Amino acid sequence: MAGIRLERLGKVFGATRAVDGIDLTIPDGEFVVLVGPSGCGKTTTLNMIAGLEVPTSGDIWIGDDRVTDWEPGDRSLGMVFQSLALFPHMTVFDNIAFPLRVKRVAPAEIERRVRAVGDTVHVGHLLAKRPATLSGGEAQRVALARTLVVEPSVFLMDEPLSSLDAKLRVEMRTEIKRLHGTLRSTFVYVTHDQAEAMTMADRIVVMHQGRIQQVGRPLEVYGNPANRFVAGFFGVPAMNFVEGELHAESGGARFVAQALGLSLPGQRLGSGPAVLGVRPEHVRLVSAGESWPAAVSLIEPLGDATLVFLDYGGPSSLVAKVDAEEKLAVGDRRSFTFRRDRIVLFDAATGGRLST
Amino acid sequence: MRQRGFPLFPLVRHTLLLAWAAVTLFPIYWMVMTSFKQAAEWVTWPPRWFPHEPTLVNYVKVLTPGTSTFELGRQTLKILKPIGDSLIVSGIGSLIAVLLGSALAYSWARFGTGGRSYPYNILSIRMVPPIVIAVPFVVYFVTLRLLDTYTGLILVYLATSLPYVIWMMLAFVEEVPVELERAARVMGASRWKVLRSVVLPLTASGLVVTFLFVFILNWSELLLAMTLTNTEVSTIPIQLNKFQSANEGRDYGPQAAIGTIATLPVVVLGFLIQKHLLRGFSFGLLRK
Amino acid sequence: MTAAGAPGAGRLRRWLERERVFKWLPFVPVQGLFALLLLPNFLLLVYLSLLSWRITRGAWWNAAFTGLDSFQRALEDSRFLWALARTFAFAAVAVPLELLLGFGLAMLCRRSFRGRRIYTSVFLLPMMIVPAVVGYDLSMLLIDQGPFNQLLSLFAGRTVTVRWLSEYTPAQLAVIGADVWQWTALTFLVFTAGLAGLPEEPIRAARVMGASRWQIFWHIELPLLKPVIAIAVILRSMEALKMFDYPMLLTQAGPGNATETVAVYLWRVGWEFARVSDAAAMSLILLVAVAMYILVAIRVLRRERRRLTEEGAV
Repeated sequence: MAGIRLERLGKVFGATRAVDGIDLTIPDGEFVVLVGPSGCGKTTTLNMIAGLEVPTSGDIWIGDDRVTDWEPGDRSLGMVFQSLALFPHMTVFDNIAFPLRVKRVAPAEIERRVRAVGDTVHVGHLLAKRPATLSGGEAQRVALARTLVVEPSVFLMDEPLSSLDAKLRVEMRTEIKRLHGTLRSTFVYVTHDQAEAMTMADRIVVMHQGRIQQVGRPLEVYGNPANRFVAGFFGVPAMNFVEGELHAESGGARFVAQALGLSLPGQRLGSGPAVLGVRPEHVRLVSAGESWPAAVSLIEPLGDATLVFLDYGGPSSLVAKVDAEEKLAVGDRRSFTFRRDRIVLFDAATGGRLST
Repeated sequence: MRQRGFPLFPLVRHTLLLAWAAVTLFPIYWMVMTSFKQAAEWVTWPPRWFPHEPTLVNYVKVLTPGTSTFELGRQTLKILKPIGDSLIVSGIGSLIAVLLGSALAYSWARFGTGGRSYPYNILSIRMVPPIVIAVPFVVYFVTLRLLDTYTGLILVYLATSLPYVIWMMLAFVEEVPVELERAARVMGASRWKVLRSVVLPLTASGLVVTFLFVFILNWSELLLAMTLTNTEVSTIPIQLNKFQSANEGRDYGPQAAIGTIATLPVVVLGFLIQKHLLRGFSFGLLRK
Repeated sequence: MTAAGAPGAGRLRRWLERERVFKWLPFVPVQGLFALLLLPNFLLLVYLSLLSWRITRGAWWNAAFTGLDSFQRALEDSRFLWALARTFAFAAVAVPLELLLGFGLAMLCRRSFRGRRIYTSVFLLPMMIVPAVVGYDLSMLLIDQGPFNQLLSLFAGRTVTVRWLSEYTPAQLAVIGADVWQWTALTFLVFTAGLAGLPEEPIRAARVMGASRWQIFWHIELPLLKPVIAIAVILRSMEALKMFDYPMLLTQAGPGNATETVAVYLWRVGWEFARVSDAAAMSLILLVAVAMYILVAIRVLRRERRRLTEEGAV
C-alpha cells in the first residue's frame, strides 16, 4: 500500500516538452484518473511513474521511497498496457505465472497463486489457452490477473479499455472499480475518454499540453471547471460557448455578445473580452421571463432527453438539453434562458475562469 | 530501454563492431588496391597496402575488346564481351522473371490459383542443388541446340529466378489492401485497370527491389553458366573462373580489375535496395 | 475504360476479364516453362542415370540400358561419398557460425547509436559481391606471402606463414571462411529485421514485472524470434550445401580433394571425365540426400507462417 507523489516532474523529448513540471499527491488507496486529449502528457507521466521513461526534471515518490532513478522492476508496480501486452507464445497460465517466475517463487506456490487469481478474475477455465484464442474481454481479465498475482502496492493502467467494444467497456469499468474496492490499493488510470474518467475516478487530473489543468472530484471538475479547456472537455454534448465582452456595471457586470446580453448582478468580474459558458442541460426553453428568441434548427432525440439546436442570431447555434416530453419541430420559434447559477465565464485570452 | 549497468558497454560494442567491419572491408580494399597496382607490386613481402605507383593499366588491358591476349607467357582475358553477355542474360532473364512472377504472385494472393501449396512447391525448385539439374540440361540443350546460346541460359535463369520472385512479390502484394481493388472494381474499373492503376503503383518499389535482387543473383551465378555456355556466351563469373585456371602464375592485377568491375554495379545496386530487401526476404514471417 | 474499336477486340477483352481466365493467365507461361524445361530435365536425369553413357560414346538415345549399374558405381565411389560428407560438414561448420555472428551483430546494432547506419551498410556489403569474385579475392589474400599471413604475423608477434591454399585443413578453413565472410551479412539482415519486429509492449510489461535483461531475452524475445531463426537456418543451409564457387575459385578443390564439395566433384565427373550417366546417378543420390532436408524445411516454413497468421501479435 503506498501513495504517490510527483514533484515538479518534467520530461523533454528533443524540443518538445511532453510533461511540463507537474506536482501531484495521490493518497494511498485512491483511484486517480489522468485524462486529456492525445499528446497531453498523461501517458508519459504514467511511464515515468512506472520507470519506463526517465524524467528530465523532478522527482517521483512511491510510499516513502524516492523512486525517480529506480528500475521499473524494483518499484513493486502492476501495469496494464493498452495493447494488453500478453506474451503471445505462452499459455494464459504461463502469462500469469511469469512475474512470479521472474522473482523465482517456488513452483508449488506459483501454481497456487495463479489458480487463486484466476478464480478471482474468472479466467480459471482459460488457463491452458493461448492469448490469440481469447476474446477481448477474456484477454483483459488475463492482463488484470497478471498484475494481481504479484500483489503490487500500486496499479498503473494505460487506456486498457480502448480496444474493447462499447458494451464490454462498460462491463470492465465496473469490474475494475470493484477490484479497487476490494483491494483498496492506489490506482493510476490513464484515459482520453471523459466518460470513463467521470465514472471511475475518486479524483480526476485533467492534463493538457503537458500541464495539469485541474485536479478534483468528478462532480467538481464537471460543475466547477477551472478553465475553458476543462469546461469543454467534459460533458456530452459539450458546453455551449458564447464569445463576447464583459462590462463593469454598477453593482455587478454585464455580458454582451452578438445577439445576447445579460446582467450579472453582484459579480465583480472586471471587463474585457470574455467567453460565456453554459451546459446544454442548463439551457431552458421558456415562455415568459427574461429570455431571448430563437428558432429550432435541429432536433436530436436521445430517448431520455432531447437535444435542441437553437439559432438565436449568434455565430453558432446553442444546444439545449430538454425533457423528452417536449413537443418540438424544426422551425418552431421558442425563447430560451439560462440557469443563472450555472453560468461560467472565462477570460477570452487565457481561458482562465473568471470569478469574484 | 535505459542503458543501465555496464558503463563500458558502448566501448565494447564499438570494438566488436569495428572488428567485424575491418574483417568485412579488408578483402574488398585489397582487391581494389591490387587492381591499381603494377605487376611488380602484386606480390611483395611485406605486402604493399597502397600502390606506390598506381596505374590504370590493368583496367585498360581487361577492357579492350577481344577475347584474350598473350603477354609474357600470361594470358589476359578480356572482360568487355563478358560484361555485355552478363548484362543480356541477367537483365532479360530477370526482367521476364519479374513480369511473370509478379503476375503469378498476384494471382495466387488474390485468387488462390494453383492451390495453397503452390509457392512452397515452387520454392523447392530453388532448393535443389543446381548441379543436379545441370547434368540433364546439357544433354537436353545439346539435343535442342540450345547449348551455348543466350536463349538457353536466359530460360534457365528465368526458371530458377521465378521462385524468389514469387515469394518476394507475394510479400509486397499482400501489403496492398484488397479493399482498394474492390473499391476500384465497384467504380467500374476492369481488372486490367485495377492492376495498372491501383496495384502497380503500390507495388512499384517492390518490383524494383525484386528485379534488382534476382538480377544480382543471376549476375553472380557461376555453375549453370559454366555448364551451359562457354564460348559464344561467356558471363563474367565464367571469365573469372577461366582466368583462375588459365594462369598458373597469378595475374593478380587484371584479375583484381575484373573483380572490381564485376562487383561495383551490384554493390551500388545493393546499397539502393538495402532497406527494402527485408520485406521481400521475410517469406511473410516477419512482423511489420 | 470502354471497349472501343472492333467488336472482336471488345470480346477478347471481356473474355480476358473473366476471373476464370484472368487468374490463369500468368500460370500458362510459367507452368509451360516448367513443363517444357524442368520436367523433361528431371525425366532425362532419371533416364541417363539408368544408362552407362559417356559423351564419347555417341548419341545418348542409342546408348544401352544398363539399369542400376551407375548407381552401384556411385555408391562404391569413395570419392563421391567423401565429397558428400565434406559438403555437409562444411555446411555444419559454416552455417552455425554465420547464425551466431549475424545474431550477435544484429543485437549489437539493435538500439540506435551514432554510426549505426554506417556499420549496417558495411556489414551488408559482402552479400552483394559475386561469389566467384569472393573466391578469387580470398585466393589473392591467402597466398603464403600474402597480406593475411602478414596480419597474423602482426598479432602473433612472429612470422606466420600458414599455407592456406596448399595444405589440407587450412584450405578447408579458407573455403568455410569464404562462406562465412560473405553470408554473415544475410543472417545479419534477417536477424535485424526480426529484432525490429519484436512487439514492444510485452517487453515493457516484463520490465515492469522486474524481469532482468537476460530473463526477458531468454523467456520472451528468443521464443518470439523462432520464425526468424527458422528462416535464417533454412535460407543459409539450403545455399551452403550447394557450395561450388568458393572451392572452384579459391582452391580449385585442392589441395588434392581437400575442398572438393559434391557440386565440384559432380561437375568434374560430368565435364572433365565426361561420365554423364555416373554424374546423373550421383545427382539423383544427392537429390535424395537433400530431399529429406527440403521437405523438413518446407514443413517448418508452412508451420511458422500458419502460426503467425493464427496467433497474430497480441
